[in-house]
Amino acid sequence: MTVLKTVRSVGLVAVVGAGLLTAKGTGQQPPAPAATRQLVQEASLPAIDRGLRDQDAPRAARSRDDADRLRAEAGDRLSYLRGSVIVKFKAEATTAGMTAATRQVAGDTVDRSGWANFDIIDIPDAADPEAAAALLRARPEVEYAQPRYRNYAMSKPNDPLYANQWNFPAIDMERAWDIQPGGTTSIIVAVLDSGVAFHSGTFRYNSRFPFRLVPGGPIYPALGIVDVPFAAAPELGTSGSTRFAAPRDLIWDDAFPVDLDSHGTHVTGTVGQLTNNSLGGAGMAYNVRIMPVKIIQAIWDEIFSSPHEGTDDVVARGIRYAADNGAKVINLSIGRSEGGPAPVVTDAMRYAVGKGVFIAVASGNTRASGNQPNRLAQPAPDINGMVAVSAVGRTLDSAYYSTSGSYVELSAPGGDQRAGGINAGILQQTLDLDLLETYERPVAQYGPPRADAFAYYYFQGTSMATPHVSGFAALLMQQGVTSPAAVEAAMKQFATDKGAAGRDDLFGDGLINPRATLRGLGLAR
Amino acid sequence: MTQLTPTASFMTCRSPFIIAIALLLVTVGTAAAQTRTSRPSGSRSVEIGGYALMGQFSFAASESFDAILGTTSGPIFGGGATVGLPWGGLFVDLGAWQYAESGERALVLDGQVIPLGIPLDVTIVPIEISAGWKFRIRKLPKLIPYVAGGYTSLSYTETSTFSDSAEDVDDRFGGYHLRGGAEFKVTRWLGVAGEFAWTAVPDAIGSGGVSKTFGEDDLGGTSFRARITVGR
Repeated sequence: MTVLKTVRSVGLVAVVGAGLLTAKGTGQQPPAPAATRQLVQEASLPAIDRGLRDQDAPRAARSRDDADRLRAEAGDRLSYLRGSVIVKFKAEATTAGMTAATRQVAGDTVDRSGWANFDIIDIPDAADPEAAAALLRARPEVEYAQPRYRNYAMSKPNDPLYANQWNFPAIDMERAWDIQPGGTTSIIVAVLDSGVAFHSGTFRYNSRFPFRLVPGGPIYPALGIVDVPFAAAPELGTSGSTRFAAPRDLIWDDAFPVDLDSHGTHVTGTVGQLTNNSLGGAGMAYNVRIMPVKIIQAIWDEIFSSPHEGTDDVVARGIRYAADNGAKVINLSIGRSEGGPAPVVTDAMRYAVGKGVFIAVASGNTRASGNQPNRLAQPAPDINGMVAVSAVGRTLDSAYYSTSGSYVELSAPGGDQRAGGINAGILQQTLDLDLLETYERPVAQYGPPRADAFAYYYFQGTSMATPHVSGFAALLMQQGVTSPAAVEAAMKQFATDKGAAGRDDLFGDGLINPRATLRGLGLAR
Repeated sequence: MTQLTPTASFMTCRSPFIIAIALLLVTVGTAAAQTRTSRPSGSRSVEIGGYALMGQFSFAASESFDAILGTTSGPIFGGGATVGLPWGGLFVDLGAWQYAESGERALVLDGQVIPLGIPLDVTIVPIEISAGWKFRIRKLPKLIPYVAGGYTSLSYTETSTFSDSAEDVDDRFGGYHLRGGAEFKVTRWLGVAGEFAWTAVPDAIGSGGVSKTFGEDDLGGTSFRARITVGR
């Protein structure tokens, strides 16, 4: 069902452009895969490191609108998927009751995916998913029901400039690493994001439809069958190595959560970029293992008609997958500011915390544009072991974009390039955007992406703040603080108070202080 | 993470003990000389004696010590000198002892102590200036009960790995003590004694560390001490 919806949203543009454009392929055309991809070559050439991109022209800040560009052209600006809703029936619900509930919303199929304790009910495309969910919630056999809200990356990539990771000294990480040097491989941090550049190989995709990125903009042609080279980011680890644990792609339904966006790879770098290796920069917990779990759909994934989007149910499944496969920390630099609550995600978060997993989630980037809360982060105060993270800039003041609210619990460096310039972002290695985002070029230069070239970019956002907390949690767990609730309590106890005295909506309990927390207390001091 | 076992190191504690022994030997000589030259006990002369002590100290800040050192009490070693004054059983006493223990830094979260594996050493050296009274029991002339009280000047040092000098603690605090016991004269100039002592050193801790978490500010406690005394 989701596959059809995805194809249809892009397909509207295909109809518009069908008479004008001919699909552009790459050489001889093998049989086209439908809405799947094929791993056509396990190995690939070594990754290309294009170094620090500090002389490029400034890039426009990315926002949720960028992720919506394809859908916007197709007339789909909804914050949720049409044609289905998420529902969790109570354990005592009878088959007859569930059938009646399904029929009440004219649903006809109940689908349960892996790592889910909930179901997806198909409803008519014309039906309002929010209204259908409300009808279901009113039934006695339903624990919760909600639309399949879309989630997005929370960062705003901006101009690369100087190789300067000011963010680590700002939270005294040098002395923190003296105490706990990067954790060990016994700790697994799951990065639930747009994927991670963890695997070398070539994937064959099918770009079947032309599209416009913006309404009225130029039409980019379908590329046909394309082979996209991927490589593991040199600063994250070697492809196939034990650095990466139990990778999972819930957008493509396979075990290759490769990154076609750059966001997840950048976030992962802050969690655990290799350190003391005479290359690039540092990461918080540079010895831990990384679990890449792809739950966000990048523009390329949409161009290639991935079978799933980053909806709430996919996020929930990702959280459950990570918890079931050994993760000790989950990083969620994602979310959404539209739509209602996400009980399906909250339920999964409680499940994960109950299994001993600490969760860090971005507070959101909306303060300059209405300050709508990140719906996924809002339950944080009610879950001991999960924290919502706001961002500070280089001056340790609240970043202009950092969403404030009563659910904000801690703050960490996320960069503020408005206040501090380009190099006031968070620097990490990620995919080379020049070679990845070819849809940013004029149509004549548009072509398949490359995901085997890397560069160092300054990004800003609560997405960048959150992995500081995730890495910090990994170090605390390595130090013996194993309970998620204790990790949260320790972080708050030693946080550096910022803003108004005591807890406030901008900084929560304050700026994380890893060194003081890891050092703990003596008898008298 | 390595679980550090608090280890009361005799090596670290023996310095005051050795000093006490040396003091004792010096006092033996002095006392022997006095025995030859001074008047009998109970006379109105000044009598100088010395002692070495060892004992067990139980800290009032029990939760704090337990959290960091894994114990609420520990051995003490020390010594001192006593001067009997020519007014009945009145005497003054100057003594010192040392407590030293190793533990590890910790987090206290919701009342649960989580050791962090960061070594920490605590050393406590109180100097006690006391005045007291010795009682004479006619039927048991070799048994001499006594009570005393006075001022305590307590040195507290706390050092731990990964701390800079400003983060370590090296302070001295004032307090007071009361003690009472009985001395048994084995010979004219050699005795053994046992005593209980209560020490209070308020406001010494409690402004930071786990002592703040537990709301404990007193570095004092109670102790039982055994003494070997030399002198009359």
